[in-house]
Amino acid sequence: MLIQVILVLIFAAFIVLSWKRFKEKVISLGEAALWTLLWVAGAVVTLIPKTTDYVASLVGVGRGADLVLYLAMACMFYLIFKLFINYEKLEKKLTDIVRKDTLSDLDDGKPGKSA
Amino acid sequence: MNVIGVVPAFNEAGRIGATLSACLPYLNKIVVVDDGSTDATAQDAVMDKIVVLRHKINRGQGAALRTGTEAALKLGADIIVHLDADGQHHPEDIPALIAPIVDGKEDVVFGSRFMGIEPEGMPFARRFLMVGIKLFNALMLGITKNMTDPQSGMRAMSASAAESIPFSQDRMAHASEILRLVTRSKLRWVEVPVHVRYTQDSLRKGQKSTDALKIVWQLFVGAFIR
Repeated sequence: MLIQVILVLIFAAFIVLSWKRFKEKVISLGEAALWTLLWVAGAVVTLIPKTTDYVASLVGVGRGADLVLYLAMACMFYLIFKLFINYEKLEKKLTDIVRKDTLSDLDDGKPGKSA
Repeated sequence: MNVIGVVPAFNEAGRIGATLSACLPYLNKIVVVDDGSTDATAQDAVMDKIVVLRHKINRGQGAALRTGTEAALKLGADIIVHLDADGQHHPEDIPALIAPIVDGKEDVVFGSRFMGIEPEGMPFARRFLMVGIKLFNALMLGITKNMTDPQSGMRAMSASAAESIPFSQDRMAHASEILRLVTRSKLRWVEVPVHVRYTQDSLRKGQKSTDALKIVWQLFVGAFIR
């Protein structure tokens, strides 16, 4: 199927990219191997979808497609939560800036009114 | 003793003047933090013995309280009193609130609405909610159940206590956060009964019952930020 060909080509490109980065000394050998493992796993799942059924049965989920969906959802929730945390951190930085500015008025002796 | 009040205020024009006038006899000075109001809150707060500071943009009650507390420390406060701007607290309670700190017996004193003095106009749903918050505080935040008021907004603390409580919740969750930080530290604390009066106005502008969920969320997210 066309979708399988496209996906496998994408995974292959990523494998090439991983080793290119290793050669550029951007990532370590271990990292390159780990990435390669991930891309190969993606390609295997693409070419032989039944393999997910095997992994799914190992963890007690009925179908491989369900397992992929569950994992994808878990990843999504994690990423959304990360976004919340980063957003909250930005809010705190904003508050710090606003507070610093406000308190500098006090140091300059120019708050609204002081007895 | 230099006793300084801290009053965070957001769009409290028309109300804040009376609140400040009523509190001033009991305090040496008041720091008002206008939290980016779009009305005349800052102008209304200008009077003798009042220091008006202004957040350029709205950052929330907790953030304004923290700014005011830091300002009070800079102004040489020995005791800092946190108060609401809408007049729901009774200024006559301030002497009893600060007395344990003045006597050197406690570091932090929380005003409790549930120690015998009947809260005026408190809706039943709010009372019911407090029971839930109390259980949540105990289970999730580890705040002792001896604490009768799980969401007190009126509190006093010594300068050294204020310096050692790094509360950082910008919005409504600061009250629970302060309770957690104080009750789980080595600081000496006590609750004293205070009057509280809910009016149509303060209920309309104050916390809604559904805000409890927001507070839980803020505390949860806050736990991952340091």
